[in-house]
Amino acid sequence: MYWLKKLAGMLATLLLVSMLTFGALYLIPGDPAVLILGTEAEPHDLELVRSQLGLDRPVTAQYTRWLSDAVHGDFGDSITFSKGYSVSRLVASALPVTIPLAVVAILLSLLLATPLGAFAASRRGGKLDSLILTLSQTGLSIPAFWLGILAIQFFAVDLGWFPPGSMPKWSADPAGAAVSLLLPALVLAVPRAAILTRIVRTAMLEALGEEYIRTARGKGVSEWVIVSKHALKNALVSISTVAGIQLIQLLAGTIVIEQVFSLPGLGRLILSSVLLRDLPVVQGAVFAGAALILAVNFLLDSVYPLIDPRIRGVA
Amino acid sequence: MHKLLCLILVIGLIAGCSPAPVSDELVVAIPTDPDNFHPHQSVAAATAEIAYNIYEGLVKAAPDGSIIPALAAEWDISPDGLKYTFTLREGAKFHNGREVTADDAVYCLSRLANPEISPKSRDYTSVQTIEAKGNQVIITLTKPDAVFLALLTEFGASIYPREAEEQLSTKPIGTGPFVLTAWEPNNSLTLDKFEQYWNPQLPKLEKVTLKIIPEPTTMVNSLLTGHVDLVPRLEPDYLHQVEDQPDLQIIDSPMNLVQLMAINNSVPPFDDIRVRQALNYAVNRQEIIQGAGWGKGTAIGSNLTPAMGPWYIDLTDMYPYNPEKAKELLTEAGYPQGFSATLHLPAPYPLHRNAGEIIADQLEAVGIKLKLEVIEWGTWLEQVNANRDYELTVVGFTGRLDPHTMLNRYQSQSGRNISYFNNPEYDELLVQGLEETDPAARVEIYQQLQTILAQEASNVYIMDPSQIAVMSRDLKGWANYPVYVLDLAPLYRSK
Repeated sequence: MYWLKKLAGMLATLLLVSMLTFGALYLIPGDPAVLILGTEAEPHDLELVRSQLGLDRPVTAQYTRWLSDAVHGDFGDSITFSKGYSVSRLVASALPVTIPLAVVAILLSLLLATPLGAFAASRRGGKLDSLILTLSQTGLSIPAFWLGILAIQFFAVDLGWFPPGSMPKWSADPAGAAVSLLLPALVLAVPRAAILTRIVRTAMLEALGEEYIRTARGKGVSEWVIVSKHALKNALVSISTVAGIQLIQLLAGTIVIEQVFSLPGLGRLILSSVLLRDLPVVQGAVFAGAALILAVNFLLDSVYPLIDPRIRGVA
Repeated sequence: MHKLLCLILVIGLIAGCSPAPVSDELVVAIPTDPDNFHPHQSVAAATAEIAYNIYEGLVKAAPDGSIIPALAAEWDISPDGLKYTFTLREGAKFHNGREVTADDAVYCLSRLANPEISPKSRDYTSVQTIEAKGNQVIITLTKPDAVFLALLTEFGASIYPREAEEQLSTKPIGTGPFVLTAWEPNNSLTLDKFEQYWNPQLPKLEKVTLKIIPEPTTMVNSLLTGHVDLVPRLEPDYLHQVEDQPDLQIIDSPMNLVQLMAINNSVPPFDDIRVRQALNYAVNRQEIIQGAGWGKGTAIGSNLTPAMGPWYIDLTDMYPYNPEKAKELLTEAGYPQGFSATLHLPAPYPLHRNAGEIIADQLEAVGIKLKLEVIEWGTWLEQVNANRDYELTVVGFTGRLDPHTMLNRYQSQSGRNISYFNNPEYDELLVQGLEETDPAARVEIYQQLQTILAQEASNVYIMDPSQIAVMSRDLKGWANYPVYVLDLAPLYRSK
C-alpha cells in the first residue's frame, strides 16, 4: 500500500510537470514556425509550416495527443532542432553526460566536505574551524559560470591538463569523455562542498555532544576513533539527506556549466530546445529530468534504513 | 637485451627525423546545430552554410559573386529570357552511388516550386514548367525573371535523389564534396571526403569535424589550446584574445550583411520623415563600427552592401553625422525637447546589442531617450518580425546573390517589410527590375531602389560587419563568399 501510494504520487507529479511545461511554452512569445523561418518569414510560409508541424490545432488537442503518445512510450520527434531526431534518442544521448557529471560532482563534494566538516567540528571555535568556515562561505558565494571560466583558463588553457570544452562520445573515446567531465564536475562540486561542509560540521557537533560520545571518551577511546567512527556514523543520515537534495539540484541545474563547457547534456538540450521552441524535446527532456529526480528521491528513501537501523521497520 | 635497446633507439631516431605527416583532418567550431538538412524545409542560414559542402544545385556561387557551373556543366537562356536549358555534367554521382539524372533535377525543383509543400516556393512563382529531355533540364518561365539563376544557387535548389526524400532532414544525400557521416546533436557533426566527387581535385581534406560550441569564450580557448583549428565566425568582442598569437591567423572579409536600426515607419513620431532623417543624422556610424565591430566593418547608406559589387551604390554621404542638423529637424517636426522611444535588441547577437547601446547614447545627445529592451530571439521573431509590434530595433539582414531578394522586402505588401515602408514608385521599380533583361538597365533600377530607401530615411542603415575567421596558421585555401556559406572543399594544411 505504501509503495502504491508513493507510485501514484510520482505519476501525478509527472503529469503536473508535463502540463506546466506545455502551458509555459505556449505562454511565451514565438513558436517553432517563427523560429524556423527567421527574418525571411512571410505570413503564408508561417501558416504552411504551422500546418506541417500540426501547430494549427487547438492547444488542448495537441497536449492530449502528446500525452496519449507518451503513455505509449512515444515521445515524438524534434520539430525544429535537428528535425527528425526522435526525442527519446536526444534524451538518451544527453543522460550519459548529465548523470555521471552530477554523480561525480556529488562524490567529489562529499570527498571534500566530510573530512573538512568533521575536522572543523572537532576543532570547534579554533583557528582552523574559522578558516574552514570562511572557505566554505567563499565557495558558496562564487557563481558557477565564473568559476568555470576561471577553471578553463587555468587548468585547460594555461596548464593544458583538460580540454577547454566539449566532449567526445563515450563509445568513441571513453577516456577522453571521462577527462572532459572531470573539470566541470570539480567546478560543480565546489559550491556543493561548501554547503556540505557546514552540514557535516553541524551534524558532527550534534553527534559529538551525545551521551555515548562522553561514554566513549570516558572509556579512553582515541579522539580519532570517536570522530571518524562513532560521531560520523550518526551524522550520516542528515549528511546523506542534504547530499541527496544536492544531487537533485545538480541533475536539474547543470545548464550553466554544460553551456560554459559545451557539454551535450540534459541541461543544454532543454536550453537549446526552449530557445527554438521545440516543444516535443522540451517536454521529453523536462519529463526525463523530473523522472530522474523522483528516482533519486525514491532511492534515498530506500537507502535510509541501510544507514540507520532505527528507521528499519518504521516504513 | 642490449641489442633490443639499440634497436628501439634507432627506430626512435628515424621516427624523430622524418617530418611529421601533415594532417588531412580539420576541427571547426560552430555555435549551433543545423536545424534540418532537407533543402525544402530548412531556412536557417547556419544550416545552408554547412549544407553547401554536402549538396549542390545546377549552378553555384563563386567567391566573386558570379554564378558558375555545378551539376549543370553549361546552360543557355533564350533571348526573351523565358527558357532556361541546363546540360547536366556527365558522371556526377550522389553520395548513395547513383548517377544524377535530369529526372532528379525535375523532381527536386518541381517540389521546391510547389506552394502546397515548400515554404520557399514564393521565390519561384514565375516557373511555368520544368521538364527533362535526355541529359538536359528545361525550365520555362511565365515572365522574364532576372533573379531566377541566382536563386538556383541557393540551398533550397539542391538536387538530391528522389528515393532519399524521407531521410534527408537528418541523413542528407547530395552530390557535394563531403558526406555527412555522423551527427550527434548538441555535440558534433562529421564530414568525410566524398571519394566519387565529380571534381577529382576536391575536397583536399579527408575529414572535417564540426564541434558545436555555443560559448565564444570556449571557442577561443579551444583555438588557443589546439582543440579546434578553425572558427569561421568569431564575435568581434573576442578578437583581442586571438590577435598576436603565433600559431593563429585572422582573416576578415565583408560579411554581406545589412546591419540596420529598423524604424517602424507607421507609428508616430516615426511616420514623420523629418524624425527619421533626424535619426539618420544623429547616428555616428564610424563610432558604431569602432565600438561594436572593433573597427572591422564598412559603413552603408541603404539596404545593400559593397560586397554586392556593381549593384551597390554608395549613399553614406546622404546623412553625414550631424547632431545639430538632427536637432533642427526634430524642432521642425515639433519635438524641440526630443521624445522617448523603445529600442528592441535581440539577445543572442552581441554585435546588434552593442550597436544598439551605442546608438542609444548618440540619440540621447539630440534629446531622444531610448529605453533598451533586450529580448530573446524567439520573442524578437514573433513580436518584431512577424507582428511588427515595435518602434525601433537593431538587426541584420543576410545578403543574397541577387539584389532583388534583398530589396523586395520593402515592397509595400511584403510580409517581411518590418519597417512598413510604403512607396508606390518603389513598388513599380521592383516589378521592372524583375522583368528587365538588360543587365545595365537592371543595375540602374536597383541603384534607384537603394536611393529611394535612403532618401525616404526608411531606416538607419549602419554597416556591413566583417566576418572574422580565425584559423591555425598552417591552414590554406580559405575562400570568402558574398553569400552565407562555409566552403570546406579547398581547405588544406601545409607547414
